[in-house]
Amino acid sequence: MENLEHFLTQVWFVILALFLFLYVMLDGFDLGVGILSLTSSDEERRSILMTSLGNVWDANETWLVLMGGALFGAFPLAYGTILNALYIPIFGMIFGLIFRAVAFEFREHSTNKVFWNLAFGVGSFTAALFQGFALGSVLEGIAVDEAGHFVGSIWDWLDWRSLLVALTLIQGYVLIGSTYLILKTDGELQNTHYRTAKLAAITTLIGAVLITIVTPVVYENARAKLFHQPEVYIFALIPALGIVLVGLLLRSLNRKAEVTPLIWTILLFLLTFVGLGLVVFPYIIPPDITIYQAAAAPSALVFMIIFIGFLIPIMLFYNIYNYIVFRGKVSGVHYTE
Amino acid sequence: MAIWADTVALSRMQFALTAIFHMLWPVLTTGMAIYLVVVEGLWLRTKNPDYYRHARFWSKLYVLNFGIGVASGLPMEFQFGTNWAPFSEAVGDFFGSILGFEGAMAFMLEAGFLGIMLFGWGRVHPVIHYFSTIMVAFGANLSTFWILVANSWLQTPAGGELVNGKFIVDDYFQAILNPFMFISVSHMFFATLETSLFVIGGISAWYILNHRHPEFFARSLKIAVAVAIAVTPLQIYIGHLSAEQVAHYQPTKLAAMEAKWETSPAGQPADWSLVALPNNKLERNDWEISIPNGLGYILEFKKNLSEPVLGLKEWQPDDRPEMVGLVYYSFRIMSGIGFFLAGLMGVSVIQWLRGKFAPEAIAHQKWLLRTWLLAAPLGYIAVESGWIVRCVGRQPWVVYGQIRTAEGVSNLPASEVLTSLLVFAAVYTTLFICALFFGSRIIRQGPNLELPVPGIENQPAVETEPAKFIPDQRPIEAQQ
Repeated sequence: MENLEHFLTQVWFVILALFLFLYVMLDGFDLGVGILSLTSSDEERRSILMTSLGNVWDANETWLVLMGGALFGAFPLAYGTILNALYIPIFGMIFGLIFRAVAFEFREHSTNKVFWNLAFGVGSFTAALFQGFALGSVLEGIAVDEAGHFVGSIWDWLDWRSLLVALTLIQGYVLIGSTYLILKTDGELQNTHYRTAKLAAITTLIGAVLITIVTPVVYENARAKLFHQPEVYIFALIPALGIVLVGLLLRSLNRKAEVTPLIWTILLFLLTFVGLGLVVFPYIIPPDITIYQAAAAPSALVFMIIFIGFLIPIMLFYNIYNYIVFRGKVSGVHYTE
Repeated sequence: MAIWADTVALSRMQFALTAIFHMLWPVLTTGMAIYLVVVEGLWLRTKNPDYYRHARFWSKLYVLNFGIGVASGLPMEFQFGTNWAPFSEAVGDFFGSILGFEGAMAFMLEAGFLGIMLFGWGRVHPVIHYFSTIMVAFGANLSTFWILVANSWLQTPAGGELVNGKFIVDDYFQAILNPFMFISVSHMFFATLETSLFVIGGISAWYILNHRHPEFFARSLKIAVAVAIAVTPLQIYIGHLSAEQVAHYQPTKLAAMEAKWETSPAGQPADWSLVALPNNKLERNDWEISIPNGLGYILEFKKNLSEPVLGLKEWQPDDRPEMVGLVYYSFRIMSGIGFFLAGLMGVSVIQWLRGKFAPEAIAHQKWLLRTWLLAAPLGYIAVESGWIVRCVGRQPWVVYGQIRTAEGVSNLPASEVLTSLLVFAAVYTTLFICALFFGSRIIRQGPNLELPVPGIENQPAVETEPAKFIPDQRPIEAQQ
C-alpha cells in the first residue's frame, strides 16, 4: 500500500511537470513574441506578431489554469503554501497576463493603438519577469514550519539569485519566441528574428551558465545532491548536452533554417526542465516538504487520474490539430474578416 | 477593527470583487455559445446567408467577452492559494480536484476549439467548423457544471468528513452529487442562457429601433423570444426549488433572505415581508411592509406552514450572516427580474402571435422594443444578486457548518491585501469601461452584410504560403 501511495504521488508529480513544461514551452513563445513586440518598428509588424498568436494564446494560457487546478487537487499543501509565499509575484504575473490578454481584443478595435501595444508588450514582459521570480524563489526554498505552512516574509522571493533566474527566463522566452517567429514569418521580419534569436541564444546561455555555477556554490542542499555519486554524472551531462544544443541552434540560425531552430530551442527547454526537476525531486516545497508530505489522499489522486489522465492525450490531440489547421506563414491580413 | 487592517475582511472583499467582475463575462459567453450553435446550425440547414452573418456578427461580441473572462478568471483560481491557503489545504482533495477537472475537461475544450471557431472559416470543412462551435459551447457549459459542483459542495458538503481540520472524502460521487448540485447547476445554466437571450434580444431591438437592418435583426429577436418561452418560466420554477433547498439545508441563509428574526412555528400562517429595513444591532426590522400569510403560500403553496421557519435569533450572532440587508434585497432584485423577464417574454409572444413581428410591423412596436433594450442588462444584475445571496448568505461559513471563513484565510499582512485589492479595483474599472466602449463600437459598426459566404470549397481567409516558399525580398510595405 505504501508503495502504491508513493507511486501515485510520483505519477502526479510527473503529470504536473508535464503541464508545467507544456505551459512554459507554449506560453513561453507566446510571451516571448509579446516581449519582442516592444522592439517592433511599425504597426504592420506588430499586427503580424499578434496575428501569429491570435488563434493559440488562450489555449496556451490554459495550461497554466490546468496546472493550477491540478496542483490544488493533487498537492493542496504545496498549492496553499507556495502561492501564499509568492503573493506578490503571483499577482504581478496575473496583472501582466490580464493586460496582455485583453490587448488582443482591445487593440483590434482601437483607433489609438499605442496604449494596447504597450499593454501587450509590457504585460508579457511583466508576466515573464514574475514567473522567473517565482521559479527562482521556489528553487531557492520557501521558509515553512513543521506542518509545511509558510512562515517567511512577503519579500522572501526578491534577491539577486531569483533576479538572475528571472532574467534568464525572459531571455529563454525571447529565444523561443524568436524561433517561433522565424517559422511563422518571412522576408525582412524573419531576418530580424534570426538576429534576435542569435542574441537571445547567447544571453540565455550566459544566464544558464551562471545559474549552473551559482546553484552548488550557494546552496548546501543542492551541492550535496549534485555531487552525490553516481548522480553527478547525470548532472554533469546536462550542461554538456546544453552546450551542444546551443551550438546546433546557432548553426541552424546561421544556415537560415526555418524549422530546426524552434526544435533545438524546445529541446533546450526540455533539457533545462529535466535538470531542474532532478534537482528539486522529491521535494515540492524545497527544501523541507516532499511530494509525499504534500500529496492529497490516495483516493483523491486516483479519482483525479481517472478524470484527468485519460484526457491528456485528447487535449494534446486537439491542441496539435489546432496548430496543424493554422500552419504556414502569417501575412499582414487580419484573421477576422 | 478598522476594515483596512482586517485581513479577513480585505480578502473577502478581494474575492467578492474578483468574482463579481469575472462573472460578467462567462455569463454571456456560456449562453451565447449555445446561440451560436443554433444560428450556425440554422445556416447549415437552410443555407440562408443571414444566419451565417449572424454567427459572424455575434461571435465578435463573444470573443471580446471571452478574452476578458479568461483574463479575470486567472485571479479567481489563484486566489484560493494566495489568500485562502488554510482553506485550500483543508479542502484541496475534493475542491481542488474539481477545479482541475474544470480546467482539463471544460476550459481546455473551449479554448482549444475557439481558434478554429473564430478564425477557421474557410480553413476547415464546414462540418468540422460546426463541430468546433459545438465543442466551444459544450466546454463552456461543462465549466458551469464543474464550478457549480464545487460551489454547491461548499454549501452542502457531502461524501466525507472533517478530520483534524482536513476534509477527508470517502465517496467522491456522493460529494459530486451533493444535495445542492443538480438544482444549482440547472439554475446557473438557465441564468446564462436567459442573460444571453435578453442581451441578444435587446441589442437586436436597438438596431430595429434605429431602422438598421430590421429584417436581419428581427430574426435574432425571434430566436431570443422563441427560446425564452421555455427558459424564463423554467428558471422561475428552478429558482423556487432552489429556495426550498435553502430552507431545508441552510436555514440561516433563508432567514437572512427574508430578514426574519423571529421563528414562525409549524401549523400556523406567517407574513411575508415585501420591503423592510433590517437592523442588525437591534435584531429586528426597523420598518416593514409585509403580505399577510404570504410565507406559507410562497414556500409550500398553502396558508399554514407544515414545518417551522426559523428566525435569525435561533442562532448566536456569530453563527449567522451579518449582512442581512444585502442578502434580503439581492434576493428580491433577483426574483423581481426573473418575473419581469418572464412577463416581457409573455407580452412578446402575444405580439408575435398577433402578427406584430412581421418585417413591416416590427419597427412600429416601439414600446416593446424599448423594453427589450431596457431588459438587456437585467440578466447580469439578477445573476450577480443571486451569487450575493448564495455566498454572502452562507457566511460566516466558507464550508457551510464546517469551516468558518475566518479560519480559511492566509496569514498575510493587511497592507499587502489592501494593495492588491486596490490594484484589482483600478484594473477592473479600466477594463469595464474599455469593454463597454469597444463593445458599443462593435455594436455601432453593426454586422457586415456583404460578408462572402463560404461554400464547401473556398479560398482560405488568410493568405498562406507553402513551407518551401522563397522569402519575398521586397520591403514589407511593398509586399501587401
